[in-house]
Amino acid sequence: MDKALIALVPLLPLLASTWIGFGILFGFNRGESGERHTSRVALLATGLSLFLLIAIDVHVIMNNASSHQIIAKWFGSGDLYFNISFILDRLSLSVATLVSLIGLLSLRFAVNYLHREKGYQRFFMVMTLFISAMLLIVLAGNAMLTFIGWEMAGVSSYLLIGYAFNRDTATDNANHAFVTNRVGDAGLVLGIFMAFSLIGTLEWPSLTRHALRLPTLQTDLLLLGFVIAALAKSAVIPFSGWISRALEGPTPSSAIFYGSLMVHAGIYLLLRMAPMLEHAPMVQFILVVLGILTALYGFLGGLVQTDVKTAFMFSTTGQIGLMVISCGLGWFELASWHLLAHASWRAWQFLHAPSFMHMINRPVRPAPAWLQNKPGLYTAALQRFWLDNITDGLLVRPVQQVAQEIQEFDEKVVNRIVGLPGQIGAVSSLAEPDRGKRTDHITRGQGVLGHLMQTIAAALHRFEEQLVLKGSGEGLIKSLHSIGNYLLRIDQLLTQPRYLWLMILATFVVII
Amino acid sequence: MAEQKPQKKNDIRETLQAAIAHLEHVLPGQGPIKNFVHHNTLHGFQHLPFAEALREARKVTGNYGYLPAASFRELYKQGRITRDDLCAVLNKDESLNADERVYENSDIKIRQRDVYLAAQCHPIKPITNSQLNWQIEEMNALTTFQHDVSNESRQRLLQTARRHNCKTEAEAIFGLSTACLEKLDLKYYLLHPEDMLEMDSSQSDDLMNELSLQEDEQQDEDHALLHRLVRKEAERVLQQQLGRVGAEVTLRGFLKILSGDDILDDIRPVLIRHVSAYLDQGMAAWHHVDRDKGFYHAWRQSAEHDPGWVFDNLNNWKQQLDILPDNSLDAIIRELQLMGLPRARWADYLQRLALEIPGWSGMFLWHHNNADSDEVPVSGIDMTDYLAVRLVLERIFALRLSSQYWQLEPSLDSLRQYFRRHRSEFIVRYLSQTNRLPEYLLTRAHRLIKQTNNLHASYREWILLADQIWNWRHNPMADRPSGYSVLHSGWCLFRLAQHLGLCGADIRSLEKPQLDQLFACLDQLDEERSGFIWLQAYEHHYHEQLYNAISNNLHRGRWQQRDTSPTAQLVFCMDDREESIRRHIEEINPAIETFGAAGFFGVAINWKGLDDDKVSALCPVVVTPSHEIREIAKTSQQTRYQQHQQRQQLRLRLKNILLQESRRNLFSSALLMILAAPFSLLALAGKILSPLGQNRFTRQLTSHFDLEMETDVTLNTEHPDQPAGPESPQLGFTDQEQADRVENFLRTIGLTHHFAPCIVLVGHGSFSQNNPHRSAYDCGACSGRHGGPNARVFAAMANRKAVRDLLNKRGIVIPDGSWFLGNEHNTADDVISWYDIDSIPVALQQNFLQLRHTLKQACLHSAHERCRRFASAPRKLKPARAFSHANNRSWDISQARPELGHATNAAAVVGRRSITQGAFWDRRVFLISYDPTEDPTGKILETILLAVGPVGAGINLEYYFSTVNNDQYGCGTKITHNVAGLFGVMEGGSSDLRTGLPLQMIEIHEAMRLQIIVEATLETLTEIYQRQPSLQELIGNGWILLTAMHPESGELYPFDPQAGFSKWQGQHQALSKVVQSSDWYSGHLGPLPFALIEQESSNG
Repeated sequence: MDKALIALVPLLPLLASTWIGFGILFGFNRGESGERHTSRVALLATGLSLFLLIAIDVHVIMNNASSHQIIAKWFGSGDLYFNISFILDRLSLSVATLVSLIGLLSLRFAVNYLHREKGYQRFFMVMTLFISAMLLIVLAGNAMLTFIGWEMAGVSSYLLIGYAFNRDTATDNANHAFVTNRVGDAGLVLGIFMAFSLIGTLEWPSLTRHALRLPTLQTDLLLLGFVIAALAKSAVIPFSGWISRALEGPTPSSAIFYGSLMVHAGIYLLLRMAPMLEHAPMVQFILVVLGILTALYGFLGGLVQTDVKTAFMFSTTGQIGLMVISCGLGWFELASWHLLAHASWRAWQFLHAPSFMHMINRPVRPAPAWLQNKPGLYTAALQRFWLDNITDGLLVRPVQQVAQEIQEFDEKVVNRIVGLPGQIGAVSSLAEPDRGKRTDHITRGQGVLGHLMQTIAAALHRFEEQLVLKGSGEGLIKSLHSIGNYLLRIDQLLTQPRYLWLMILATFVVII
Repeated sequence: MAEQKPQKKNDIRETLQAAIAHLEHVLPGQGPIKNFVHHNTLHGFQHLPFAEALREARKVTGNYGYLPAASFRELYKQGRITRDDLCAVLNKDESLNADERVYENSDIKIRQRDVYLAAQCHPIKPITNSQLNWQIEEMNALTTFQHDVSNESRQRLLQTARRHNCKTEAEAIFGLSTACLEKLDLKYYLLHPEDMLEMDSSQSDDLMNELSLQEDEQQDEDHALLHRLVRKEAERVLQQQLGRVGAEVTLRGFLKILSGDDILDDIRPVLIRHVSAYLDQGMAAWHHVDRDKGFYHAWRQSAEHDPGWVFDNLNNWKQQLDILPDNSLDAIIRELQLMGLPRARWADYLQRLALEIPGWSGMFLWHHNNADSDEVPVSGIDMTDYLAVRLVLERIFALRLSSQYWQLEPSLDSLRQYFRRHRSEFIVRYLSQTNRLPEYLLTRAHRLIKQTNNLHASYREWILLADQIWNWRHNPMADRPSGYSVLHSGWCLFRLAQHLGLCGADIRSLEKPQLDQLFACLDQLDEERSGFIWLQAYEHHYHEQLYNAISNNLHRGRWQQRDTSPTAQLVFCMDDREESIRRHIEEINPAIETFGAAGFFGVAINWKGLDDDKVSALCPVVVTPSHEIREIAKTSQQTRYQQHQQRQQLRLRLKNILLQESRRNLFSSALLMILAAPFSLLALAGKILSPLGQNRFTRQLTSHFDLEMETDVTLNTEHPDQPAGPESPQLGFTDQEQADRVENFLRTIGLTHHFAPCIVLVGHGSFSQNNPHRSAYDCGACSGRHGGPNARVFAAMANRKAVRDLLNKRGIVIPDGSWFLGNEHNTADDVISWYDIDSIPVALQQNFLQLRHTLKQACLHSAHERCRRFASAPRKLKPARAFSHANNRSWDISQARPELGHATNAAAVVGRRSITQGAFWDRRVFLISYDPTEDPTGKILETILLAVGPVGAGINLEYYFSTVNNDQYGCGTKITHNVAGLFGVMEGGSSDLRTGLPLQMIEIHEAMRLQIIVEATLETLTEIYQRQPSLQELIGNGWILLTAMHPESGELYPFDPQAGFSKWQGQHQALSKVVQSSDWYSGHLGPLPFALIEQESSNG
């Protein structure tokens, strides 16, 4: 069997996604009439992937040939190089087969379910992109490819949480998820960077082998990068908040992203790291602690949830917690079985979420009495242990604030320096008949040279006005005054916690 | 004094209580969707005439109640509304004075009607400056006709223009545009928004002169004057906005205008989490320990232990919570006092507040009002609690916002004081939220607005920007607040003139009153009025066709007189979805007579099926049953029954464990999941790839495991002497009660003689997978449940010797050779299931088998007809394929449209089948059997109308409102729905509860009011109408439309609430005739016109 075939497995859905994207762009699959075309392309590509995978499964099982396949050298320089490589072992193949099967079923489900939706094509485009991303994560032979899949999955998740982009809640939650996930990505980048600089290869087998020879602290740090990535993607504490807010998309995407597939990507990464984890008791300890916290969070939070999708999500988080504990304890075999079973069950459960109310015939068994009598704990569970508020307060809101302040900085400082119109532009001639800056209007230049001339003219004019016309120093005093104001403001900004955070972070980066 | 005070306090309490009671009229009245019952979405406004109610509702809730004008214009283009329809409606409305002359010269006569028509058919609306620029620069609006001007108008305009020396189109249009501007005394400059910042000097001099004249005193410095004007306007707007707090906006709304921040976005998740947990019907395992002490109490308890406020920067939450009173009504009073709202506006404020999250407010109120329903999880649910919490939350979050921006308490007084001192800031904030400022002003405004206090810019920036904005707004090219302006009046006149075919010279010769009259006509047609005119025209078009079809079918239908016994008589539910199958049955075997009636067949029961835990009421919502009927195992099967029970319960317990425990626990869930995973994957694949196959397989497994049972119903009471009532339902009926019910029902449908050998009551039900709105598809006459048990019980009663003897005495002789049967027709998969066929007398076995075969055939054809409207079905297919397609669809978990429900309902006919038999009604008509010849007093008709009116109106109006405004009256698309608390749907994880029908249910619905045609004399109908206030409300206010059909002459008399009945004078047009229905509908996806079906003349 040609080993290059394996590359087709993630590539086919990606091609389908691109094709559908082109269709949206050029309009050949838009509207209700384009639905059949769109869904066929998506189903065909995913179906072929599944078919290929099954063939590969059979081949590998028959020949008992787990392998690490390097398809091509991507690019390299000196000792450093990136390969396009895939890992074909029991773990990756079983998860990949399940991913494409569940992906295929969800797509088939969506064919009817999303009929006549305005976002039909968009949905199929993102779903196929996601399936491709998951397959890439699972089959990737090196950390770089994993990272690419990781990012593709992140983007598709962002796009589908914000599927109903005209609803504020949906877009807010999409942003929230996106920002939280970036922390994980930073971890992954850190891991890759460390692996690169310390070991010099990113291929999973040699990476895990070589890492063991490093000093413990370095192994731990390297591992920690990947572990943070895994924790964020699988919504383990402290990152659990985002996933219960991610249920804004269509039912089938909620089902496969958060219930069934993407949530397991982190666990899968941990399983890939198994050989290293076994030798890093410190990291294992952290995993066990976080796993316990996550399991408790999912369990207690799940007891008080009243809407179907969130309730399922908390239950999912609880199970993920258990898997993290297994990984922490080194029970990787158990964790992988748990992963496969859990993914299958959740796909069924989430896709049946709309009729859950009709399928049950009695209320759920009440919580035990000792728990019922703990109103404080109840409130904590109802408020989801404030994880959302905390991440919001510590992460999302500061990032937004910083963005706003950077924009202000741009407008007030950078724009002025480069000569773009600042915020205090022309002043109304009526309001200030004397001080109107009509020159800006007189010298309206076009093109690069024109702009340059205009800027120079305006600057000269300002110079003239400030220093020469106003003579007795009114202009100078004003300038000094405003400089003083700036300094005051910078001072104020620096006392804000978010900048403190930034500074601490910066220090860290420098030290490392 | 001391004595007066508490009294005053009591007054205010009563006012608040009354205000809360009134909320029922404005909030959505939908209860838990597990028992979805169709009702008029605007039930609370039903005491008003239709158009007024919609206007009022829009005032209160902000929701528009007609299709958007663009959709109507689309229908106009398709010919579904014609010019004649519009004229008919315009002529009928006297207040419009359609015939009045506006302008006349030798070659053109313009009446008000022409202006109305132009304004209805084309959007003649003010435009923005940029749109105008685009129109002129890209669309050549000043030299060519607007694209939507009709040929006729073009020719007329060009002809007259030619006479005034405008040779070409360009000249004519340009001449028209200058004439319009001149006439309105306007000047036009092609300006881009930025240019408007600066007026040229002559312009600004003019403006200043104008303004200083208004001011009555000359100012030396122009800018000081301007600033004074700004301040003056700011003061005026501030007062006006503060005055709106109450009936029109809440504190949150006011703050939103000031800051652009919506605190509701913060409140919503917090509130919904608590409310949902409080009302939850069993999704959560863990509830607040003090849940039964009321929502306010529980929330407060929780909130006090909730450090989460800290993370939200709500720093002094502790003090805020500590000082809350214990009683929720006191809390409401205190909150409103703190806000500084005048008492007179308190009641309005609560209403406005409740309407901000209408779905959840409505659901809470439903629980408050239906405390005795078994769907209410706890006692003591009180709307006051909800409003109190809502108010407290509003204040806490408002406090955060107002201290962030202004370091203020969020009370109206302190805000007023602050903004009186900061008027420029106020006006900038206000205008940037409410006006469409050009981008260059808007970005600057936003930057200022978003600056929190510690980053505060110098106040001078506010002043400058306020002046600038003011300056921009008073530019004659901008959206001027008053007077004629280019974008408003100028553009509208320009467009209108083109549609009316008036050239420049015509416009110049208009006199001032004529000009005003033109604008007055345009103003008359506000959105509400225009929508109502469109709606009536749309209905008019359909009704003309309907009346025409009925008159064409006159004396063609069979069974006008029943002289012989038919081979079978089938009584269907009146549901519009049963129209097709009845038609197909009659086409297959003309010797069968069909009837339609409310699908509970006059037998209101509390039904307890063999495996049910509790009873469910099978009858219209307005009725409370006094009798309970149980399904029991046959006496011969007692031992088998025990086994069945054990196994069935075991299966349910396992199912429950699988569904509930697998999500509830941690370790045992993991175990369960690992066990269930392989099966769930297989089941999922099966369900998605072959729904029908998978379903057959599991059903077989289930029935094998459960042991299928043969059952009986407990028809007869064992305690005939005990009185039965709704409070203490009696088990079974007495003979007398049975005879009453059978007699009443047979008389209602007019079946008192010539009984057929087989008389079948066909109950109605519908089933769908993965559908939270499942019961909205079910039988409307049975409160969203199945009507099969009613059919079964009725048949069993009517077959009893004792009952027949009693009926004999009352004049209804049912021959011994006649047998009643019950079955149920599922309109989703088109399968009919029969009851008690083993007790059919041997002599009738053959008849039964034949009949069953006919019905099976009819089901195939019915499915075939339904498939024509499914996009998933192939366009050409055989009935058998169609049947399996429909069947597959109904078992498909991915199908968001298992069937199309009542989506085609439009009319109802109460009368003999002969009126409708023999024509194709496209499943659009409710058919209710009634024989006027057997009801001289009108008593029977009265009962029918009392049931059909509200049920029909409920279904039709819910579809109407969900269709015309699915965003606000409906519940949006199903695909993001998330079931909350087992009682409603949200979008995603924390949205408002969505009420009404989902988009998928109403896509093909044609939104019009139900037209009821009743076969009765005018006298009978008038008498009933005068006797029944509920019918007066529905018909008199135009919620449903009534037409009488004379039983003998067949003439039609539409009813007008003002003018009474008047004979239909419409045109008689021939209809197409086809041999069978499928010839007419095959291959068509959309709605079809009526057609006649060729009749076999025998058996008539």
